Amino acid sequence: MKLAVAAAGVVVAVMLMLVQLGIRQGALDNSVAVARRVTADLVVVSPRTKTIFASAQFPRRLLYRLGSSEDVVEIGEMYMGQGRFRNPWNKLEFPVSIYGINPHSPMMNLPGIERFADKLELTDRVLYDGLSRTNYGPVVKYLKEHGTLDVEVNLRKIQLVDTIDVGISINADGNLFMSPANFQRMFPGRQSGSVDLGLIRIRDGVSAEAVRDQLSQYLGQEAKVLTRDQLIDSEILFIRENAPLDFIFGMGAAVGFFIGFVVVYQILYTEVTNHMPQYATLKAMGFSDRYLLRMVVSQAMILSLLGYFPGFVLALGLYRVATNAIQMEFSMTVERAIAVFVLTMIMCGLSAIIAIRKVRTADPADVF
Amino acid sequence: MSKTETSPEKPVVSSRHVNFWFGEGDLKKQVLFDVCMEVAPGEIVLLTGPSGSGKTTLLTLVGALRKVRDGELDVLSRPLHAVSLNDLVDVRREIGFIFQQHNLLPFLTARQNVELMFELHRDVSHGDASRLTEDLLTSVGLADRMDYYPAKLSGGQKQRVAVARALVTSPNLILADEPTAALDSHSGRDVVTLLQELARDRNCPILMVTHDPRILDIADRIINMEDGRVETVK
Repeated sequence: MKLAVAAAGVVVAVMLMLVQLGIRQGALDNSVAVARRVTADLVVVSPRTKTIFASAQFPRRLLYRLGSSEDVVEIGEMYMGQGRFRNPWNKLEFPVSIYGINPHSPMMNLPGIERFADKLELTDRVLYDGLSRTNYGPVVKYLKEHGTLDVEVNLRKIQLVDTIDVGISINADGNLFMSPANFQRMFPGRQSGSVDLGLIRIRDGVSAEAVRDQLSQYLGQEAKVLTRDQLIDSEILFIRENAPLDFIFGMGAAVGFFIGFVVVYQILYTEVTNHMPQYATLKAMGFSDRYLLRMVVSQAMILSLLGYFPGFVLALGLYRVATNAIQMEFSMTVERAIAVFVLTMIMCGLSAIIAIRKVRTADPADVF
Repeated sequence: MSKTETSPEKPVVSSRHVNFWFGEGDLKKQVLFDVCMEVAPGEIVLLTGPSGSGKTTLLTLVGALRKVRDGELDVLSRPLHAVSLNDLVDVRREIGFIFQQHNLLPFLTARQNVELMFELHRDVSHGDASRLTEDLLTSVGLADRMDYYPAKLSGGQKQRVAVARALVTSPNLILADEPTAALDSHSGRDVVTLLQELARDRNCPILMVTHDPRILDIADRIINMEDGRVETVK
């Protein structure tokens, strides 16, 4: 019975730690999902851009300079903005992320986009992200049945012609993909000739870092060149500095650890105290303190095993629940599973070591 | 296992002018005064006396459970008055203890409780340990209860497991503290008879503290104590 309570404590601790760390990772991953989709080798941004979701623009003509490098094979452009999407069913407006990309060669991982390339060249024809949240209405269903849907975005009428599944993040409830020309029409107030992101493909065999350094010289202070990996790293850095994910979820995991520790300690301590005569007897018969310590620690280790697996399964379940509820991906990684397992062993081991101190005071002479 | 040699002439236990106090300073209370006694190999010696006479304290000193501070005490050829605390722990392993409360580990079966003693004598093979355990539990009449947990055994049965536990590693001395106190006369008699037989078979001396007048007849010698002093009878 007491074993069950202690194991339950471990289960709760394991589950809390796994879930907290999992959501933290999921939030992090989702926030950089767009950056991860970039397949270009190099990326050009304004020096004032801290994150691509709130990017500063830079003049497009800067990109043309880069054509003179023989290592550059292709230059592309990406535009990003936020719009207000009016749900045609309930007439409410919701924010939506808007991407202006070359549908023939977006240099982004958008599987299937070539199919729509021709359609998107037409005026005000736009692609809708099938994984957008349901705030915008049953768009996917409607498009399946009727083919196209007229909607109002930023007070402008556009037509959704199809869907593509990309995925949302904390920053956006939904995504729209359109050609650069349509993007300009969408945002007439923007400075013409300015772009958010430059995308560069380099020729095979050259190192991205080398070309980056080379191109930086062409651009000087006016724009920054980053490798794709650098882009992802800087997005991650931005999130961690601006959203206290580490603190919040780290605290949550620490609380889980603490709960498990306290429950296990309580149970072990009570067990030891209740069995002092037996422990004293063992000491009288010649068992050393160290032997008894090993006994209690091995009980604690069994406890951590008993509690880990149910906690693990529960956490997997919770990941699924969160994924469905928030429509973002939360999943288990091997590193996290192992790390939490080690933490669980430490948690139980520490409890045992502290609880066992009571046994040291068992005086064998008192058994008589 | 470094078993000490017991020659026919040398006593297994020999105390000379042992004094013992509890407490410090003003609260100091002397409980043993100039205690001199011996236990010869194979002897069954009973320690009797009213409560507070110091007999249990003497037993704890002989059992290497307390440090001797004044006087000399040789047990199994070791001078307990002159050894370290670690050595005391070693000496305990050569003594078989039987307590008033059986103090069996509740989460182990009878068999496991007895076999546990071999953890202190790693030189005995696993197979031998098992066999010795079974043989002894059978000799105490618990052949069909070996895999029961203590909760499912009667008081008398538990004490018999305790006897098996004390004897299974073939100690050179058995110390018992009122082993029959918690038992009815029938079970008590059984346990003591058992102890006597097994001890005789192995030529193992027994020093037993007891109040129980019903079992005095098994003794070779009775040492009566009063107010911390020895008066020998018989």
